[in-house]
Amino acid sequence: MEQKHEWAYVIDGKMALPYQYFAGATGSAFIVALRDRKKVLGVRCERCAKTFIPPRQTCERCFRDLTNAWVEVGTEGVVTGFTVVRYAEPYQPKQPPYVLALVQLDGADTPIAHLLDCGDPSNTHVGMRVRAVFSDERKDNILEIRHFEAVA
Amino acid sequence: MSNTAPPAQELTVSRQVLSVAQRFSTGPAMGRFLQELRDNRRIMANRCPQCGRHQLPPREVCAVCHVGATGWEELGPEGAVRDFDIVYYSSPDPLTGETRETPYVAVWVDLDRTCGDAPLWHLLHAPDLSKVRRGLRVRVVFAERRSGAMSDIEHFEIIE
Repeated sequence: MEQKHEWAYVIDGKMALPYQYFAGATGSAFIVALRDRKKVLGVRCERCAKTFIPPRQTCERCFRDLTNAWVEVGTEGVVTGFTVVRYAEPYQPKQPPYVLALVQLDGADTPIAHLLDCGDPSNTHVGMRVRAVFSDERKDNILEIRHFEAVA
Repeated sequence: MSNTAPPAQELTVSRQVLSVAQRFSTGPAMGRFLQELRDNRRIMANRCPQCGRHQLPPREVCAVCHVGATGWEELGPEGAVRDFDIVYYSSPDPLTGETRETPYVAVWVDLDRTCGDAPLWHLLHAPDLSKVRRGLRVRVVFAERRSGAMSDIEHFEIIE
């Protein structure tokens, strides 16, 4: 084929994906409590004796309706697992290296995933005590908690 | 069931635009087509040496004969509207997430000197929508600032 391949070149493109996430009745109450009262709300299934964070409308085990089964849990908790992100790619929440941790808040039976900022990532260990640091800006999402930090 | 309405509750919505970076290779055929738009303000199609049909946008191999389409010819810059859509509800532009102002007109244009079935799709600048019809004579308008992309053609305009 006699095509001249020097004609070929690379175009940088991008694709924008607008989306809306509706938190729903249960998720909204959770977010509004974080934002306006700096409280963490979960729901408790008395039959299974389990407190779920983030809250959900039905029990994951017995499918009981948990609407209005609200309980408040602590803003401190314990790290049950973590990963250190060491590579950079667009749209990450912060510059690597950073830590994504599973934090089980005091009084909860399930952990939530969030950013953990305790300086050097090698300071992180399972079982460490952490506390929520709330955002100064209004976010209307889980980033009402900006990150977790180590309890000194 | 209670007869009283539940108290109004604030419902939260998270709105975001994710922007996903991508890189495309034009390949040799689209590369030449786009560079001719950018550098020479002309619409170049390639042509099958076997069946003689133009391909626009060009592709390396004739889609009918499966032989290399190596000849290049300029088409247009004028042509006739084969078909059109008047768009009142626009989907988001993948480059920006924004939607175009509506209504706008999208046209398939049979450029002058085209052999075979190779209309070019683009926008038509039509301040008066009632003038838009099949067979309408139109002329390509190139953008002032060109980057080697389809947007180097700003739109087609109606020949009065």
